[in-house]
Amino acid sequence: MELYEYSAHELSKMLSEKKCSSEELTKSVLDRAAATEDKVGAYLSICDERALAKAREVDEKLAKNSSSLHQLAGIPIGIKDNISTKDWLTTCASKMLYNYVPPFDAFVMNKVNAADMVVTGKLNMDEFAMGSSTENSYFKKTHNPHNLDCVPGGSSGGSAAAVAAGSAVISLGSDTGGSIRMPASYCGVVGLKPTYGSVSRYGLVAFASSLDQIGPMARNVTDTAMLYSVICGHDDMDSTSAEHEYPDFAANLNSDVKGLKIGIPAEYFGEGVDDSVKESVMNTVRELEKQGAEIVEISLPSTKYALNAYYIISSAEASSNLARFDGVKYGYRTENYESLIDMYEKTRSEGFGDEVKRRIMLGTFVLSSGFFDAYYKKAKLVALEIVKEFNAAFEKCDVIATPATPGTAFKLGENMGDPTKMYAADICTVTVNIAGLPAISVPCGKVNNMPVGLQFIGRKFSEQTLLNTAFSVEKLNGEAKPVNV
Amino acid sequence: MSIDVKHLAKLARLRIEDDKLAKFEKDMESIVGMVEQLPDVSGDAWNLDPNHPMKLREDTEGMDKLPRAELLANAPQMQAGCVVVPKTVE
Repeated sequence: MELYEYSAHELSKMLSEKKCSSEELTKSVLDRAAATEDKVGAYLSICDERALAKAREVDEKLAKNSSSLHQLAGIPIGIKDNISTKDWLTTCASKMLYNYVPPFDAFVMNKVNAADMVVTGKLNMDEFAMGSSTENSYFKKTHNPHNLDCVPGGSSGGSAAAVAAGSAVISLGSDTGGSIRMPASYCGVVGLKPTYGSVSRYGLVAFASSLDQIGPMARNVTDTAMLYSVICGHDDMDSTSAEHEYPDFAANLNSDVKGLKIGIPAEYFGEGVDDSVKESVMNTVRELEKQGAEIVEISLPSTKYALNAYYIISSAEASSNLARFDGVKYGYRTENYESLIDMYEKTRSEGFGDEVKRRIMLGTFVLSSGFFDAYYKKAKLVALEIVKEFNAAFEKCDVIATPATPGTAFKLGENMGDPTKMYAADICTVTVNIAGLPAISVPCGKVNNMPVGLQFIGRKFSEQTLLNTAFSVEKLNGEAKPVNV
Repeated sequence: MSIDVKHLAKLARLRIEDDKLAKFEKDMESIVGMVEQLPDVSGDAWNLDPNHPMKLREDTEGMDKLPRAELLANAPQMQAGCVVVPKTVE
């Protein structure tokens, strides 16, 4: 077995027991990336020299005193390219930021670096995290390691594909409407969208600030829990950052579901969701029932408006957030211009892709005079209804189980001509961001050889319950291993 | 509903080329057609989560200071330590 095939929790032990070095491990992961990138295309940039230098530094620390190091010290990690990395390109997969090198690290990067993890590179995504297939990247397409003709999901498609292919042991993604959970589901890995406010957004290039959240992705629940423990916590630099005490999630993992009340909302098992996916999800839930979990029927009736509310709110925030890209202080600037306005318009028209332009224009439309009440205000009221319905549901159950996606990974190009068809792929995930809740996608089986993800949604700050429930599903199926590509 | 893409683009400081205009109009109309289906809910749309209120940090000087040269290193055009832009005042 090659080193890249092991999980982070296994490698953590192997490193402390001197069964391998971080340099050997990092080389193995970089070699795996070299062998698979032509087919998978998960990375936008690979920082091999930096990674190997860091690995050697960790090896020296390990030789001196391994007990004082973080559990994940020396473990290679890939980072989604909308997370600012000091002195290393952060492009958001956009021409607009093709040359942008942040002068600072994101909060999560400070945490990752302080834990002595080894960053292998920056991962592909939909431009500015807008998309559900990673096909909106300006630079390249990423392919699903389970079937190279299929998309990896999006927008954290590179983060999911790298972990699935073994070109990263673990990775960070970001989730605004499902961008961690959906690619996790399509690529057969675990992805956690944490409670809003539990991970600082400082240094995450903003898409929709009231919905964006950084989260961990891995091939198993234990690694996901370990990485989540690294990145959560309060940060003064993010005014929406929560003050909260977090447990040691990995140490507290427990697959016992006796007495756990699992809510099943009929709205997530209706029209638009593939029967085979529903069946795969329900079969798994019934297995948990056999182990002592209790199934409770719940209702979340506003779900049918969630997608509409989501696209209004997220696009409104995006149109404001992306106003900063004007070609003045950083990023792309058009070559020929006659005036300031001419420079703005040409820079933005040449720098942004079509999907980003559509979202900016939708946001501009719903916020414009005469349409604000009919669109934006209504969407915010629907969001409040969604919150109320979740609160009522959590009076009856501890977690809610749904499919993470309405189907398995679709073919590259299949939905590119029709934006609303692409948006429909987010139907199972957007409510969670609207309500600020945590949710996890965990593999629960395969349909036509493609992975299916089961989503568990929890109360705010109930990540331990979600990880435990996902852990019980993993016990049924075993941990995922890197896919042959 | 018909959407005036040219006007929206102008508001958003974008320019849509003529050969792409028809496709953008069609896309924007179908997107707006999708999102406009919302129920009439009454109430105050602006309440915040009382359990997790936002907290503003102290307005203090000197947090995460960066050298000027590092901050300006990404600017597309520089001259004498300043960012160069087209003339804005006649």
